[in-house]
Amino acid sequence: MIKTEELQINIGPQHPSTHGVFRMLVTVDGETIVDLVPVFGYLHRNHEQIAEVNTYLQNMPYTDRLDYFNSMANNQAYAMVVEKLVGIEVPERAEYLRVLMVELTRILNHAGALGFLINDMGAWQTPLAFGMREREKILDLFEMASGARMMCNYFRFGGVVRDLPPAFMPLLKDLLVALPAFFDEFERLLCENEILLQRSEGVGVLPKDLAISYSVTGPVLRASGIPYDIRKAEPYSIYDRFDFDVPVGSVGDVYDRFLVRVEEMRQSLRIIEQVLEQLPDAEGDHINPKAKQNVRPPVGDAYARIESPKGELGFYLVSDGSEKPYRYKVRAPSFINLTPLGDMCRGYKVADVVVILGSIDIVMGEVDR
Amino acid sequence: MTIQFERGKVVVIDRGARKLRVGQGMLKGMAVVWHHWLKSFQKLDNFSKTAGVFTVEYPDERIKLPEAYRNMPILLYDDETGQELCTACFQCQRVCPPQVIHINQARNPETGKAIPAAAEFIIEYDACMSCGFCAEVCPFDSIKMDHEFELSTEDHAELTMNKAQLSRPVSYYERIAPTFWAEVKASAYKKLQNSVKRRVDLIGIAPQMVEKVKAMRAAAAESEATEAAPSSAPTKPSAAETSPATDKAAKLAAIRAANAAKQDAGNGGTSTPEAPAGDDKAAKLAAIRAANAAKKAAESGEGSASVAPAAPEAPAGDDKAARLAAIRAANAAKKAKDEQENS
Ligand code: SF4
Ligand code: SF4
Repeated sequence: MIKTEELQINIGPQHPSTHGVFRMLVTVDGETIVDLVPVFGYLHRNHEQIAEVNTYLQNMPYTDRLDYFNSMANNQAYAMVVEKLVGIEVPERAEYLRVLMVELTRILNHAGALGFLINDMGAWQTPLAFGMREREKILDLFEMASGARMMCNYFRFGGVVRDLPPAFMPLLKDLLVALPAFFDEFERLLCENEILLQRSEGVGVLPKDLAISYSVTGPVLRASGIPYDIRKAEPYSIYDRFDFDVPVGSVGDVYDRFLVRVEEMRQSLRIIEQVLEQLPDAEGDHINPKAKQNVRPPVGDAYARIESPKGELGFYLVSDGSEKPYRYKVRAPSFINLTPLGDMCRGYKVADVVVILGSIDIVMGEVDR
Repeated sequence: MTIQFERGKVVVIDRGARKLRVGQGMLKGMAVVWHHWLKSFQKLDNFSKTAGVFTVEYPDERIKLPEAYRNMPILLYDDETGQELCTACFQCQRVCPPQVIHINQARNPETGKAIPAAAEFIIEYDACMSCGFCAEVCPFDSIKMDHEFELSTEDHAELTMNKAQLSRPVSYYERIAPTFWAEVKASAYKKLQNSVKRRVDLIGIAPQMVEKVKAMRAAAAESEATEAAPSSAPTKPSAAETSPATDKAAKLAAIRAANAAKQDAGNGGTSTPEAPAGDDKAAKLAAIRAANAAKKAAESGEGSASVAPAAPEAPAGDDKAARLAAIRAANAAKKAKDEQENS
């Protein structure tokens, strides 16, 4: 093989693909990646420091802005940690509403993430529009319940801010008719597409042991063949009441990550169907009427984590007994899943880097905080 | 190694490795796209459909916004009287996460006492994060989330909104969120009436309604004046005749109320607000009695006082006495109330 001079180039920080302000310092030998160093911090906005001058409740809308694709999931993790710290009980009905919203979020996140992944492969906009169409319907439902499409701010300590409006359920039932059709169609559109296979099979392999040592979580970890899902491993909320499977990959390449996400959407749909069955019998209100929003937790600390669509999302809070957190820390899945990028890209071509980055599914709002 | 889960299993995704790949994948995909192209001439108007046009031609066509939709906060005032619902309780200012609400309490220009109304109310729309907390915490249902979203401007400073720009009539909110308003309407108006009682002059009137209310009040005062004195006789005598009477009654009531409050507090054991819990009930009862007496007094006092702002040309002397009585009565009521709260 001919050895040529190595060259250092920057990809980004202006949108290396379509994922936000993020820079990759790449050393290339011809077309081949020799080394890659992810550089982030361009979107840093002091999230954790701001949280320490806010009251506990005031932080809720700020968590929307972490991973702005999944504000409902962020809300849940944050509500859970404060509830743990203060000791607030959540009524059954509220738990069902929370699970419903978070599973809808998972579907919309994966629909968007897969669309953007295909975008990164060069199929501009058409497959993305398929995902966006279903996402838009879910966002309409979110808007109806919470008042906003993306910055939902729907959760409160001890429940959710308001119950579902009467027009919500008929639309959701319509949507449940459309979703299986959408999944089938999406699979027919892409899963066997030879170009997609060429671009994704055997690309960006993340071996099991490396995934574990980088503490990668979420679909990326499961695509590497490790069946770790917090909803199963440490059931929180009421996830122990639902039947659903955990899809895992066998190779750990981009194609596996693609397929795992498609299957996860189907599993989320299963959960939503079970929620709708059990919701009418759920006791309690949409919020615990005794729960104060203006909380003053006792001195202590708490950590709560959920399986967000991107992986383990955790919040760590330290309370000094005042109405503001003494320390507030976010364990952001996007950030941690991004760290093995260099190892995943080494040896592949420059054009693969963008695809591999897309397959991790990051949101810069959460990476930089 | 197999991992068992309760209620579910681990499924290894089939990568289709044994499938023959001769281009049928792309053909399948093309068939999907072709199907959508054919359907792209009809509208996707139902959530159960997956094909069709689902975008609308904004701004000619608009999607109906749900009631819960929230964009920026607005302040409500009553359509007829122009009275603002806001009492400057500062709850919204306290809860606002980015701290963009700024309120100035209105004060009585003569006594300097706080009046339940906002003298100025400013929201920096440019920094508001549309969280909706302000609308959630407002105990008077005064601040609500607007549906208007076309706010773009060339001048950044224009996005700092003052009270005049924030105020909207109740009917406007009722139109955009009918069920939400129906839920709170009765209590909101009840609370508004209470705060109107403690407002003077044009304080607490929405800025855009000030002129209208002034005209309305002048007209009312005029018709009253002509009714009271159909002849060419001046209005002074009649005012002088009536006010001492009401004045006196009001004063008396105020004194009685104060006495009742004092006495009952004495009965409670100590004169300090931290009365022992045992005599709690007696103290409470006394307080309620005192409050009632004071209220009565306030009402009769208010009766003559409320005419005063309507007719600023009324003699200042009688007016002042009546007002003083009213204030005294109000004070007594407040004291009684404080005691009631403390015990
Ligand atoms: S919506 Fe939120 S950010 Fe905006 S003014 Fe109200 S409390 Fe403040
Ligand atoms: S808007 Fe509501 S919460 Fe804010 S000061 Fe006025 S009455 Fe209080």
